[in-house]
Amino acid sequence: MFPMRRSLSATLLLVLPVALAADVPRLSRDQLAKAVRSDSISIPTPGELFAALEKPGKPNWSGQYRAPIPMTYRNRAQIALNLGGLIADGFIAVEAKDSQQVKNIGSDIIKLAKALGVSEHLLSRGNSINEFAENDEWDVLQEELEATQNEVKSSMQTHSDQDLVILVSVGGWIRGTQVVSAAIMQNYDERSAKLLRQPALISFIHSKLDDISPGLRAEPLVKGVNEQLVGIEKLVSFPAAKAPSVDEVRKVNEAVGKVMEAIQNKTDAK
Amino acid sequence: MSGRSPALVLNKVGAIDLNRPGVGALLGMTACLFLFVYVLGTASAAGAETDGEVAARKIAFDLAGAFTNDGFKMRDGHWCGTIKPHEPALIAVNLYAGNQYWFSVGAIDPAKKIAVNLYDENGKQVTTENYNAGEKAAAGFSPTGSGQYFVSVDLVEGAASSFCLVYSYK
Repeated sequence: MFPMRRSLSATLLLVLPVALAADVPRLSRDQLAKAVRSDSISIPTPGELFAALEKPGKPNWSGQYRAPIPMTYRNRAQIALNLGGLIADGFIAVEAKDSQQVKNIGSDIIKLAKALGVSEHLLSRGNSINEFAENDEWDVLQEELEATQNEVKSSMQTHSDQDLVILVSVGGWIRGTQVVSAAIMQNYDERSAKLLRQPALISFIHSKLDDISPGLRAEPLVKGVNEQLVGIEKLVSFPAAKAPSVDEVRKVNEAVGKVMEAIQNKTDAK
Repeated sequence: MSGRSPALVLNKVGAIDLNRPGVGALLGMTACLFLFVYVLGTASAAGAETDGEVAARKIAFDLAGAFTNDGFKMRDGHWCGTIKPHEPALIAVNLYAGNQYWFSVGAIDPAKKIAVNLYDENGKQVTTENYNAGEKAAAGFSPTGSGQYFVSVDLVEGAASSFCLVYSYK
């Protein structure tokens, strides 16, 4: 009796996982391909990325600051890309709980937004950012930064600058990835390194960049960013279970650093 | 725009908070203030939406507002659309391992019951913590791998209706 029961248990152990796996509902490739992808919900904010990075231990956020960038760009695409980068910088300052840095970045965001002609409502956002920073309201500040980014994008849509919207997201993602990869290199941890895996996200960004007007897409800076993303996509396409090595993280950091340099380089502006 | 009505939002968030165990009035007020700032911020970014979508968005915000009491931050973005019987709406999101997420969905009459499910990048359904209450539903998920996931909004009972999805993370 006992051996029989054991054999039955063994059979169940073998069959049950197979049966359970077969029962797990699945979506077809066709369904996945038809899923909605939207800038407003499919591209994570820098705040989400930074929240995940903090889980294993708080990084040295203030160590990720960069020197102030020029505020005198003339090229609208370059302004949009830098605006996204600056918003990511704002998130870093919030994570560092550095009120002066938040105020400085908030002021720069408004200046760049003004250059795009989207500043009317944003002036009040700038005041709110200052007020929240002075009162150390860090959670609200993060929401305010997200809202500011959305307001910039919304204003771009209203002003028929729809094509620039994706550039703001791209700038934010590149700067966010630069910061996260740098932080991982400084204090390597497999769990954090896995955060860099975002092939579908870059693929989506690519498809959005392919949809913008041919004129804008042909601009040297936009063209360059789009081309560099091909290489970056390969670097962040490792299997889900595998963490990239320190060297692989360094490669990601160098690649996004190169793009960021081009984005903020004043001499590239036309 | 009805999405700008902070008074209505405050009352509804308060009602949800009272139903959650261990949530005090102070936390409820914090959520209310947060939601007030949030709704003002997103209302202008919403673009052209139907009245049904605006109403559905409000239901989704109210539901997501409850999670802010547990430290979840609401993502300043949403997706509104239409769900029909046997035609789930599928939205791609990119999530980070280590974060916890709640996907909150609101729908309006004639939808009677909706469900939210999550699938990984290969289309396999993942295990979620679920909340269902008629025209609103939520799914909680903590990804172990970073990457693309798919949120499915299903109409379980009722007829075609507007819906809106928002998500929160911590």
